[in-house]
Amino acid sequence: METFEPVIVAFCCHYCAYTAADMAGSMRLHYPPNVKIIRVPCSGKVDAIHIMKALEKGADGVIVAGCLEGDCHFKNGNIRAAHRVDSVRKILGDIGMGGDRVEMFTMSAGMGERFALVATEFTEKICKLGANPVKSGTDMGMHQAAC
Amino acid sequence: MITAERKPMEEIIGSVSPYRRILLVGCNECVTVCAAGGRKEVGLLASALKMHFAKEGNPVEIEEVTLERQCDPEYVEELLPRMDQADAVLSMACGCGAQEVARRYKEKPVFPAVNTRFMGASERQGVWAERCAGCGNCVLGITAGVCPIARCSKQLLNGPCGGSTSGKCEVDPDIDCAWQLIWDRLKALGMQERYEDNIPAKDWRTGRGGGPRRIVREDLAS
Amino acid sequence: MAGIRSALDLAEAGRDVVLMDKAYSIGGLMTSLDRTFPTNNCDLCTLSPHLSESGRDLRIELMPLSRLDDVQGEAGEFKATVTSEPRYIDLAKCTACGECYRAFPEAVRFTPGLDHRAPTCMRYPQATPYAFSIDMERCDNIDELVRICPASAILPEDTRKTRTLDVGSIILAPGADLFNPRVLDTYQYGVLPDVVTSLDYERILSASGPTKGELLRPSNGKSPKKIAWIQCVGSRGVQKGLVSYCSSACCMYALKEAMVTRERFGGEVETTIFYMDMRTAGKDYETYLERARNEYGVRLVRSRPHTVEMEPSTGELVLSYFTYDGKVALTERFDMVVLTVGFRIGAELTEMASRLGIELNQHNFAQTGTFNPVATSRPGIYVSGLFESPKDIPATVVQASAAACCAAADLSPLRVVSRKEEELLPERDVEGEEPRIGVFVCDCGFNIGSVVNVAEIAQSMSRLPQVEVSEVVGHGCSRESIEHIQKTIRDRKLNRVVMGACSPRTHETLFQDMLRKAGINKYLLEIANLRDQDAWVHSDRPRDASAKADELMRMAVATVRHARPLTDYHLAMNKDVLVVGGGVAGMSASLSLADMGYRVFLVERSGKLGGVARNVHRTLRGEDVQAGIDALIDRTEHHDRIQVLKNAMIVDHSGMAGMFKTGIQVAPQMFYREIKHGITILATGALPNRPKEYLLGRHKAVVTQLDLDGLLARDPEAARGWNDVVMIQCVGSRVPENPNCSRVCCQAAVKNALRIRELNPDACIYVLYRDMRTAGFDEDYFRKAREQGIIFTPYDLDAKPEVEPSGDAVSVTFTDPILRRRFRLDADCLALSTGFIADEESTEDLGAIFKLPRTPDGYFLEEHVKLRPVDLPIPGFFVAGTAHAPKTIRESIAQGQAVAGRAQTLLARDVINLGAAVAQVDGTKCAACLICVRACPFGVPFINEKGYSEIDPSKCHGCGVCASECPAKAIQLMQFEDDQIMAKLEGLLERIS
Repeated sequence: METFEPVIVAFCCHYCAYTAADMAGSMRLHYPPNVKIIRVPCSGKVDAIHIMKALEKGADGVIVAGCLEGDCHFKNGNIRAAHRVDSVRKILGDIGMGGDRVEMFTMSAGMGERFALVATEFTEKICKLGANPVKSGTDMGMHQAAC
Repeated sequence: MITAERKPMEEIIGSVSPYRRILLVGCNECVTVCAAGGRKEVGLLASALKMHFAKEGNPVEIEEVTLERQCDPEYVEELLPRMDQADAVLSMACGCGAQEVARRYKEKPVFPAVNTRFMGASERQGVWAERCAGCGNCVLGITAGVCPIARCSKQLLNGPCGGSTSGKCEVDPDIDCAWQLIWDRLKALGMQERYEDNIPAKDWRTGRGGGPRRIVREDLAS
Repeated sequence: MAGIRSALDLAEAGRDVVLMDKAYSIGGLMTSLDRTFPTNNCDLCTLSPHLSESGRDLRIELMPLSRLDDVQGEAGEFKATVTSEPRYIDLAKCTACGECYRAFPEAVRFTPGLDHRAPTCMRYPQATPYAFSIDMERCDNIDELVRICPASAILPEDTRKTRTLDVGSIILAPGADLFNPRVLDTYQYGVLPDVVTSLDYERILSASGPTKGELLRPSNGKSPKKIAWIQCVGSRGVQKGLVSYCSSACCMYALKEAMVTRERFGGEVETTIFYMDMRTAGKDYETYLERARNEYGVRLVRSRPHTVEMEPSTGELVLSYFTYDGKVALTERFDMVVLTVGFRIGAELTEMASRLGIELNQHNFAQTGTFNPVATSRPGIYVSGLFESPKDIPATVVQASAAACCAAADLSPLRVVSRKEEELLPERDVEGEEPRIGVFVCDCGFNIGSVVNVAEIAQSMSRLPQVEVSEVVGHGCSRESIEHIQKTIRDRKLNRVVMGACSPRTHETLFQDMLRKAGINKYLLEIANLRDQDAWVHSDRPRDASAKADELMRMAVATVRHARPLTDYHLAMNKDVLVVGGGVAGMSASLSLADMGYRVFLVERSGKLGGVARNVHRTLRGEDVQAGIDALIDRTEHHDRIQVLKNAMIVDHSGMAGMFKTGIQVAPQMFYREIKHGITILATGALPNRPKEYLLGRHKAVVTQLDLDGLLARDPEAARGWNDVVMIQCVGSRVPENPNCSRVCCQAAVKNALRIRELNPDACIYVLYRDMRTAGFDEDYFRKAREQGIIFTPYDLDAKPEVEPSGDAVSVTFTDPILRRRFRLDADCLALSTGFIADEESTEDLGAIFKLPRTPDGYFLEEHVKLRPVDLPIPGFFVAGTAHAPKTIRESIAQGQAVAGRAQTLLARDVINLGAAVAQVDGTKCAACLICVRACPFGVPFINEKGYSEIDPSKCHGCGVCASECPAKAIQLMQFEDDQIMAKLEGLLERIS
């Protein structure tokens, strides 16, 4: 049987998490290649819809990664992001997906090791959860959003 | 503003589950402002429903539209070209909007995705509170700008009752006693003597007591 | 490196610069190296954006192959005579096609490397100027050479030229030579081919070197299995031909070479470093050492091997050495031996110094002082980099910016004229065009190419719709590649570009500039981070790394289709400066900027200026610190452009570079005041550490080195009564709680020990150390201390000295590893070298107020350890002094001047570019719900008279919170629009489902 290789989308804020991911590179730390980073200026820019759409389109897990609490370059974007992640987790729970596929993390720009650890542990967690159940359906019924 | 809240996901799922092609209609007025049924909420709900049904092996097509105002026939008319492809309509507008869609498209089942709550004001980001009960005969002029019908739990016209403690209502300590608020405003206005005036029993026929209401402006209706 | 940095800083600050180099292309020693510590990335990649910058900048005139002959006049109005050797190539015509090299390989000049086997003859792939150079004397057929050049660039009649330049100030950054170990006959360099210098080894590892980056033994072309490094070759020596000082950078670069070797060639190659002291004293260098030892398995042996011989039957090299544990002589076999050679000043520089009339120290380096770390003895002439003293890249870059600051001050009064506009192609209007995408994948030498199959990625991208071109480019950031990409954009009428490269954090500006100069809007670009976030982190799984690269590229291609041309926004620059912290670094920065004509607010939380340095009386070299500080304080307090605010606390902060607002409260009334400024400099210092160890604070005989310095200055008589004095190094430093080296303690111990010896020749003085880190010329004092009978004994972290009270004295027990005996003695004075600890409380508060990142041990984290050591990651913020990391007074002052040198690049501008990432409202969708008005952290949006939300682009910070909160989806953040983010998701996920 083919081993399950989850696809994980990581929305990373430019000032901390994305820099931490680069730092992990400079330090040559290894983490699973399943994690694909999308750079955003602030974790507060991550729209609940983007998280939902990532899962709807088949991602197995979504990370939202911002600055440490109190360190947000834009004051409180990371706090807003955390609230938003909570609300998405609730919706996912309500539709029977389980909220654990989405998680918010915080780290400072210098924390390359933390980024690698987060990426590794989250990937392990998603492996345990298994593939996104949305993908098991046949026709995805994807329709262009019309507005 | 009319306020609303999204219905529990389970109820929405239950109402649309027989249908495979759903037209999800938002409204860019009140429900956008109270973050219940604007473009963003439409997008989130569509995504959630698609995921739910895909997961069940029973995928749905959802078309998202947000009308400028769902309670006006001209805007609702804009849905016409999309109706053929829809088995059912899910409305994220208030009850007025959902009914207008149902009136126009008689052959389509229409389901509400939100519970319309009350006419209210925004206290701060994300918090709305009831302010008006639509009684049809406004008393704010004699109650110092605070409505006892909407804001007193007992709708007392000559309050407060004995349950008012430290300015809070006995029904729920988070509710301000409307009559305390009225008193405070009267004092600030230097009109304490008004408090002594007895407000006579209210004629509820201007409200729901007279059955469903309508307004006709002769000059405009022609 | 130093010269380029100074030139860039000055040019960016609006000054005209002539950048001379005796070589035919600029870049110096750094361009020969494979990778540099502590990031272990490729030098070419880090340096080349800078070189391309200097090649592009119209304010910098390059004079390669030139020599400074004479300087007349004085600071502000020098006349400099410069002689340029003939290049025999017309720089304007040469395209570096290489035809001349193919026909006459001997006649083309080439510097580094082991020999002529290097793959190309350019000095390195991003050479500036990008042109060849001919040695006519070695050409046997000049007519043929002229004929063969397709660009008609050969100038056989070219001659030596002499010019006189009018200049205001001069910066000397000539670098230094590397020691040639042939004089040490016991190592047999030049005799045994497998004995190489550290530079030779860099060239072997380098992708542009003679073996194209393959690790092969020069003797037989086979892969070595065991490699030894011998440290301090030619340095810290007393024999004839050697130098006595420490070359400072070698410990780190040997560690780097060993780590890179382990990383690139896996566990198959054993690496051993033979060292005397591991001098990893820079910021986070100690953790680098720990990683080398623990994660990479680099073996470290404390010993200086005396002989290298070859075993004739096997060709192996036999190393003979003694270890410190007193065992008998050992021998060990290796396949290669790398001699870690240090720096020295050659005759060429000493002659130049005498022509220019600047003083040199006993080692022939330029003489400078603690309070003027980059000024030579001749006013108006400054020095940076290796010619000042042996040092590493971060310290060199700091000095370069400091020199730029001092040089600019001589050019006062400020006569900055508006920046010359480059002739740019008009921007092509791509509105309405179908996307025509060009995809360029960098192999970045070994960085990407050795892990990711770049050819396959380019092939795969070429099959995507709307991709017109998809190809591999070597180093995408090299001049050659950039010109190629620009030509491709023009020739193929591309209107979108995807780069598969390194991080957009470092290279986005460069590639944006490339697009703009090719005539299309710079925002029609998308960068996939194939290096930092793929090849570097998945080198253990190359197949998966390639698959991920393919996905990252698909995401980028999908996104770039939706890219729109955008316009940058600008704002007027506030030219006042806020300096936080009134220690030596803060005062130096304030004075430098005030001297340049800028108004400075200097905020100090205590009631006095001077900081920790007030407690230091003399430097190791004997300079009077108190007099120097008093002079600094006096100038600072009386400067008419500096406003000093003592007993003041920072309480809030807002704005962005060019328009900051900072609130302070000033004691005793704690009244609130708001300062508006364009630049913020943090010089908040560190704290003297006082760990609760070895009875410190509990026994009066136990003091810190800082206490002892004060005691010896106040009450020298006390020392005359001491019989035994013990010093313990690394107390509270290089331990898990405070992992880094405090950098100043070894010098302090040697200084105080020598002072006690002077006061009391009979005292027995013991220094218990882990590594003596008296780098550079401080090594001379370490030797002097040993000559004077001060006993230095190493200890290990797992066998620390023990201290107990013993009446008025304390008894100290320790092991001498050479004698293998335990010693116990009663010390009348026990001096603990406790060094620095970050001022956690203040960096945490300020970090939170200013939103600045910190290192795990509480120091401010700079933008880039080597290239931007004093810039903080948020534009407009700089850091100087011990708030950055532990350092000496001299280094703090150099950093103070360096931040002024960097700050002037922003202050010289009249407007600041805010970029294009601002939020825009679609009024037709807006429901005027006020959610954005309430959500914006900076209070920018408002509902305009037309009834919808409006966001002033010049005030928008570009965080995008409004866009993600808007319930009507009426707001888009430019560059990060929803359709672009959705396209990324689709690019990644389209093949699933």
